[in-house]
Amino acid sequence: RDRTNSINLIILLLSVVFLGVSTQPITDGRLFSIAVGRVQHLHLLAQRLFSDFESSLQSEEQRQLNKIFLQDFCNSDYIITPVDKHETQRSSVLKLLSISYRLVESWEFPSRSLSGGSAPRIQISPKLSELKTGILLLIKANQDGADLFPDSSALQLAPYGNYYQSLGADESLRRTYELLACFKKDMHKVETYLTVAKCRLSPEANCTL
Amino acid sequence: MRNVFEVMLLLLLLLLPLVTAHAGGQPNSPPGKPVLTSCRSPEKETFTCWWKPGSDGGLSTKHSLFYRKESSDAVHECPDYRTAGENSCFFNKNNTAIWVNYNITVVATNSLGSAYSDPVEVDVVYIVQPNPPENVTVSVMEDKGWPFLRVSWEPPRKADTRSGWITLVYELRVKLKEEDDWETHLAGQQKMFNILSLPSGGEYQVEVRCRPDHGFWSEWSSTSKANVPHHFRRDNSTWILMTVFFAFTFLIVAWLLHLNRHNLKRCILPPVPGPKIKGFDKKLLKSGKSNEIFSALVVPDYPSTPSSNYEDLLVDYLEVYVPTERELQLEESKDPHDDRLKSDSSTSDSDSGRGSCDSHTLLVDKEAKEEARQAECGQTRTEVQRSLKDWDALTYAQIDMVGRDVPSGRVKTWPSLYSPLPRHSSGPLDQQSSLQMAKQHSLSTSSFLAQEASGESYWDVCSHGELPRPLRAKTPPHRGLRARSDADVSGAGLKRAPAGPRSLAPHTSEYVEVQRVNNKDVVLLQPVVTGCYQALPGEVYSKVKRVDSDNILLLQREAREEDGYPGAEQENTTQKASACVYAAVLVQDQMAPMVNGYVDTATMCTLTC
Repeated sequence: RDRTNSINLIILLLSVVFLGVSTQPITDGRLFSIAVGRVQHLHLLAQRLFSDFESSLQSEEQRQLNKIFLQDFCNSDYIITPVDKHETQRSSVLKLLSISYRLVESWEFPSRSLSGGSAPRIQISPKLSELKTGILLLIKANQDGADLFPDSSALQLAPYGNYYQSLGADESLRRTYELLACFKKDMHKVETYLTVAKCRLSPEANCTL
Repeated sequence: MRNVFEVMLLLLLLLLPLVTAHAGGQPNSPPGKPVLTSCRSPEKETFTCWWKPGSDGGLSTKHSLFYRKESSDAVHECPDYRTAGENSCFFNKNNTAIWVNYNITVVATNSLGSAYSDPVEVDVVYIVQPNPPENVTVSVMEDKGWPFLRVSWEPPRKADTRSGWITLVYELRVKLKEEDDWETHLAGQQKMFNILSLPSGGEYQVEVRCRPDHGFWSEWSSTSKANVPHHFRRDNSTWILMTVFFAFTFLIVAWLLHLNRHNLKRCILPPVPGPKIKGFDKKLLKSGKSNEIFSALVVPDYPSTPSSNYEDLLVDYLEVYVPTERELQLEESKDPHDDRLKSDSSTSDSDSGRGSCDSHTLLVDKEAKEEARQAECGQTRTEVQRSLKDWDALTYAQIDMVGRDVPSGRVKTWPSLYSPLPRHSSGPLDQQSSLQMAKQHSLSTSSFLAQEASGESYWDVCSHGELPRPLRAKTPPHRGLRARSDADVSGAGLKRAPAGPRSLAPHTSEYVEVQRVNNKDVVLLQPVVTGCYQALPGEVYSKVKRVDSDNILLLQREAREEDGYPGAEQENTTQKASACVYAAVLVQDQMAPMVNGYVDTATMCTLTC
C-alpha cells in the first residue's frame, strides 16, 4: 500500500511538473484520499505498537506508567491543535493541512527511536516522510497565494526537539511508553484533520471515500 | 458434661442478639469503594461515564465524580449527573476535549467517611461506540430470475459522518427465520448492500451495526424481515457437474465395451461357418494353375491308414489261405478279437489258417477270397505271381501291428497296407494299383510274425516255400519285397503242429529288412539282399516271442531259444535263412531304433525285457 501510494505521489508530482502552472488543484480528492489512507495506516501501526508494548508490561508497571504519563508531555504539545469538533470545523482547510504537516514533521526525527515491536522491519520514519510530502503537495495545491506558514514558528524546531534523546537509558521503558502513546494520538489527529479537510473539499455530500 | 453444654447454649442465646445486631446493618460505616464501569462516547463529541457504587454503609451515600485533564491540575466535578441516568456522568460538548486524557475518579461519601474509586484514564477518541444504524430497509429484488436481497440503512443520527468527523464502517448479518446461525457480511463504509447467496426461499431477517474506524462496535439494529419466494436453485454449476458426471460414466462404459469388443462381437455377430476345403488355396485359384490347385488338394498321406479303412482297402486284396487242414485247425480256435480286422467278405476268422490267409489284413480281394477259400495256396500263388509281375511300384511294405490278443497269445502281424508315402509321383490311381500290388505282394511274401504254441497256422506256413520262390525270381533285387515266410517266426506254430501239411516242407523264407520308420511309426520294409543269408558272425538273431499289450514285440532271448522253439532250430538246420533277420515288427508307439533292419536282442530287450 505504501508502495502504491508512493508511486501515486510520484505520478502526481510528475503530472504537476509537466502540467506546469495550473492554478486549479489537480485531482485534489485523489491526493487527499492518498494522504488519508497513509495516515490511517500509520495510525494503525501506532496502535499496534502501543498495544504490543502495553501487553508486554507487568501490571504494576502499567499502573506506574499511568501516573508517570500524567506528569510528562508529548513532544508535540507546543503545536496548537483544535481539540474538538467545533474548533476543527472552524479551521480552514489550509490551517488543518498546515497543522497536520507540522505534526508529521515533529515526529520525523523521534520516530527513528521507535522500535518496530513485533515487526522490526516496519520503518515508521520513511512513511512519515512520504506523508509529509503528500501533505505538502496538498498545501501547495490549495493555497491561493496565501502565505504557506503564517506561523513562522512552525518551521522552527521544537524547543524540546531533543527532549527524548536527553533522557537517560535507564528510563527507556517509560520513554517508550510515552513515545508510543503520543505517536498514536498525533496520528489520529492528523487522520481526523485530513479527513475533515477532504470532506469539506469533496463535492459529494455524504463524504464517503 | 451436660452442664458445660447448657452453659454454652446460654451464652449463645445471650450473644445471639448482639451478633444479629452486629451483622444486621453496620449502620455507621464509611461507604464502600465505587467502581467506574465504563465511559462511552457515541459520536466523539460527548461522552458519559458510569460507575457502580459500593456498599453504602447503612447511611445515605453521595457519589461524585471528579476529573482532571491531562495538561492542568485543576479538578473539576461532573457537570451533569442526570442526563445519562443513575450513577452516571454526562460530559457535554463544551466539556469534552478530544485527544486529551481525562483522569476520572468517583468518590462515595457518607457521614462516616468517603471512598475513592480507582482513577481511570480516558481519551474520548478511544471510547467511541456509536448508536446502531437506523432505517434499515430490506427489499427483495430479482436478477436474471434469481432473487436477492438489497439492504440499505442510515448512520446513527448523532454521528457526524458527513463532515468526516467520524468515519463509520458497517456490518450486517442475515439468516432465515427458522435458522440459528447468522451469516455476516462486512459492508465497509457504504450504506447499501446486496445479499446474493440465498439458499432458498422463506423469511429472512437482517440486522446492521456500525463502528468507527477506531472504536467499538455498536449494538445490532432492530431486525428487518423480508420474504423471499421459493425458487429451485439450478445454476450453471449444477448443469456442469451433471454433464461432467455423465460424460465420465459414458467414457467408462465405452472403455469397458472397447475392452470386451471381441466378446461382444462374438455374441452379437457370431461367426458364420463357411465351407473350407483343406488345402484349397484361393491364391492358387487366382493364379489359375489347375495342376497346382489339385496337387495342393492332394493330401500327402491320402489315403490314410486308419484301422477303420481296413475294410475298404482290404476288399481289393487278394486273399490267400492255407490248405484246408490248416483251415480246419484254425477254425476251431476262433479269435474273437479279430472282429474289427475282418473284412466284409471275410468269413473266416483270423485264427484259422484260412483266416490268416484270407484275413482282411492280408488285403483280401473279393474275387480272390472265394477262390482262396476253395482253392489252395497254389491257386492264389499264381495270382500272386501274376500280380507280382506287374508290380514294381511297390518299394516297401507297411507292417502294422494289429494283433492285440495278447491274452490269447496270438500275435499277428502282417503288412496291412502299402502306403506310397514318399512317392508323390504316383497319383491316386497309381496308388491304388500299387496298393493292390503291394498288398498282393505282401500276401505272398508277407512276413507274419506269428507265434504261438497254440499252433495256429498262419499264412506263412501256407505260403511256405512255394510262393516266395517265384517272388524271388520276379522281383528285382533292390525292389523286390522279400518277406520271409513266417515260418521262422511262427516257428512255434510250425513246430508244434504235427508234421504234415502244417509244416515243414522246406520253405524258403524271404527276408525283409526294415528300411526305415516313417513318421507314422510304420516300419518300412525292404527286401534283404541275398547276401543276407550269410549271417554275420558275431550277430545274434532273435525271434519274436510275443507281442506285448503295448504293441511291443518281445523277442526271444538266446537262452530261451531252445525252449520249445524247435522251429528255430529246424530253421537253422534246414535253412540258413534264419540268419537273416526278420522283418522287425514295429511297435506302433515307439520309435524303432532298429532302422538298419537288424534286431539285436540287446536292442529289443532294452525296450521290452
